Amino acid sequence: MNILPQLILNGIIAGAIYTLVTLGFNLIYGATKFFNLAHGVMAAIGGYAMFYFAKTLGLNVYIAVILGVVLVGLVGFGLDKLIYRPLRKRKASNMVLFVASLGAMTTLQAVIAILFSSQFKTLSQNFGTQKFFIIFGGTVTQTQLVILLSAVLVMAGLVVLLYKTQFGRAVRAISDDEEAAQIIGIDTNKIIGYVFFIGSAIAGLTGILVGFDVGIEPEMGSNLLLKGVIASVVGGVGNIYGGVLGAFLLGFAENFGIWKISGEWKDAIAFALLITFLIFRPRGIMNK
Amino acid sequence: MKILKTKNLEKRFNGVRAVDRLSIRIEKGKITGIIGPNGSGKTTLINLLSGILEMDSGEIIVDGIKKNTRILPHQIFFYGITRTFQNVRLFEQMTVMDNILVVVTERNVFSSLFERHTEYHKKIAEEVLQKVGLWEKKDQLAFNLSYGQRKLLEIARTLATKVEIYLFDEPFAGLFPEMRKIVSIILQELRQENKTIVLIEHDIGLIRELCDHVFVMNEGKLLVEGKPDSVLKKREVVEAYLGG
Amino acid sequence: MEHLAILFAIYAILGMSLNLVVGYTGLLSVTHAAFYGIGAYTTAILLTKSDVGFFSSLILGIIIAAAVSFLIGIVLSKLKGDYYALGTFGFNTIIFAVFLNWQKLTRGPLGIPGVPKPELFGINFANNFNFLVLVLIFLILTYFASRFVVNSSFGRVLKAIREDETAIAVFGYNALYFKLTIFVISAAMAAIAGSFFASYVTFIDSSSFQLAESMFILAIIILGGLANLRGSILGALFLILLPEILRFVGFPSGIEAQMRQAVYGIILILLMLYRPQGLIGEYKL
Repeated sequence: MNILPQLILNGIIAGAIYTLVTLGFNLIYGATKFFNLAHGVMAAIGGYAMFYFAKTLGLNVYIAVILGVVLVGLVGFGLDKLIYRPLRKRKASNMVLFVASLGAMTTLQAVIAILFSSQFKTLSQNFGTQKFFIIFGGTVTQTQLVILLSAVLVMAGLVVLLYKTQFGRAVRAISDDEEAAQIIGIDTNKIIGYVFFIGSAIAGLTGILVGFDVGIEPEMGSNLLLKGVIASVVGGVGNIYGGVLGAFLLGFAENFGIWKISGEWKDAIAFALLITFLIFRPRGIMNK
Repeated sequence: MKILKTKNLEKRFNGVRAVDRLSIRIEKGKITGIIGPNGSGKTTLINLLSGILEMDSGEIIVDGIKKNTRILPHQIFFYGITRTFQNVRLFEQMTVMDNILVVVTERNVFSSLFERHTEYHKKIAEEVLQKVGLWEKKDQLAFNLSYGQRKLLEIARTLATKVEIYLFDEPFAGLFPEMRKIVSIILQELRQENKTIVLIEHDIGLIRELCDHVFVMNEGKLLVEGKPDSVLKKREVVEAYLGG
Repeated sequence: MEHLAILFAIYAILGMSLNLVVGYTGLLSVTHAAFYGIGAYTTAILLTKSDVGFFSSLILGIIIAAAVSFLIGIVLSKLKGDYYALGTFGFNTIIFAVFLNWQKLTRGPLGIPGVPKPELFGINFANNFNFLVLVLIFLILTYFASRFVVNSSFGRVLKAIREDETAIAVFGYNALYFKLTIFVISAAMAAIAGSFFASYVTFIDSSSFQLAESMFILAIIILGGLANLRGSILGALFLILLPEILRFVGFPSGIEAQMRQAVYGIILILLMLYRPQGLIGEYKL
């Protein structure tokens, strides 16, 4: 059987997942200019929140999703308010923020493991018999189509938000120059708080979708984060379109890469791509 | 003799010529001033001469040695050049003493591993710190110094190198008169030792008092050059400052 | 008791060596576990598959770690700030992938069991006390070696690089060479810790050498204090005692590892907010 269509499909799905991660990550990076390591664990919180709401509490799936996403957004907002904002206020260096976000990530991941155990769980009820479709000779599950759809919708929504609303204008102003934005009267702290909410919520959604696709475990966020960072760097840090480009590039590079090299080298391939870009084109493809 | 020359030196930022085919020749053993309105390219020139920036085209000639590619920052010392920075760059979380010691000790990686600072090094540090009046503060951390003291420490640091060519980027800016006097004396002493000084300054009085020769830059180009008195009277210079 | 002391010594060596790079030179390296792993695997493989003795394996581990770190260091030298840290993430991941997937050499996730203890002058190192003395000797050696580096002119240049790399460069110091050298020295020390680890726990597998471990070692030195060697020793002490304290306070075992992670994470956050210099650090982030 011709494996090419499946590879392409896998690449697209991976790209879609990474897109969701970078959209949130780039949004936050654009506004705050630091690498928020805790972004990944937001996805894990989303996945586990969904688990709790849908499986443990037995709530309706759609309500659980909404609750989960909102919860994660609040956690992200809280992180900013309690930790990053005070640090920004005293002009802490990027290294400090980096380490603080490392601390947040470690703590949150550990708390999840304590509350839910480190065992791998799945979100979908009937894992073995998911509905699937055959497209151009390759298989895609229903969940994966939802992932693709979500990526498109979130990206479209974000573009509208950033370019067609006043809030979006404020966010872009802050991304260009935070001080200048403050001078013209934008309440940067409040806007950044919302940015964290939205970015984290997107990450939470990602975690839920991945949970349905493969499952959840406490460390799931780390890997997603790293891939998200790679996609961002390759496409152009802070650049929404760049992130999407990078995400799909990464998705394809990984899947075609493991076609020739065995599957366990997937991460190494991803990081080799990262390092190559860091050296030769650190601003990424889309940034000038 | 001309110890430092540039030939058609050019540096562009986003298409704008910060330094525009500049050809100047700096005389050894004299204090040469570089003046001009903000944005005329003075600091860019110094950055090119000290390896911080890479030239887009042109040549830099130091003591006869031609370079039409970037001199790397760590090489300028060996070309006999040292400098201060417009926004003072010290080693903040190190002591005043260490700020000086660190630039007089061994430069070779392996040798430096096996070297502790010697009496010789400490003597040099004492000498330059006394000159700028910071010897009493030798154990203070650099970030605890006042603005003026920081500028003096930066100057002391360059003195410790004992090289031939000194590039000072606005060393007097923000200093009280007593400290200005100290810096002025230091520059004149350097000249007496036949050292070469390139001085970026805005203060007209200081230019007149200290400089043997002046270059006026505007928009990356050389406007006029000559003795301070004659240059400062020229109409183009006044216009450049008022217009720029 | 000796068990804790041995682990303490190993992490103290790891902490001090990382501190040389992070605290003194200002390079945020999150790949230290890779060199730790190289030392561990070298010893494990040589001791189980050949007649090579412990100390020879130690030296070989140092050489391999030095060579690998040299190459990585050259690539990393092109990166600054956040990107440097990211690059180190990348290398740790790549080397971990090698540990995991080069199964012919490392047996991948199955790990290498049965790593014997060192043999020297007929002393029985299976006796924990003897082993502890041996590790402590190396800890002391590493401490004095680090101190030697730090108190030399070289060490002073490292600090200047941390403060302002360009400013020290214009005075004739090739920052790249200095950074590369300390990176290699640091990696070599980590390999020593790795060799002892392999011999002590007798079974190693790739899971001990992931990113999480690198971040862990980073947490130790931030807590103990950057740019202070005794701080790293203190940090390692805290790391080892913490689970014991938690157990004493009554937390159920089984979630010890996670509790330790959680506490460490919170400590990092609190440190950044209220005391960036850690316990006895001489450098504030």
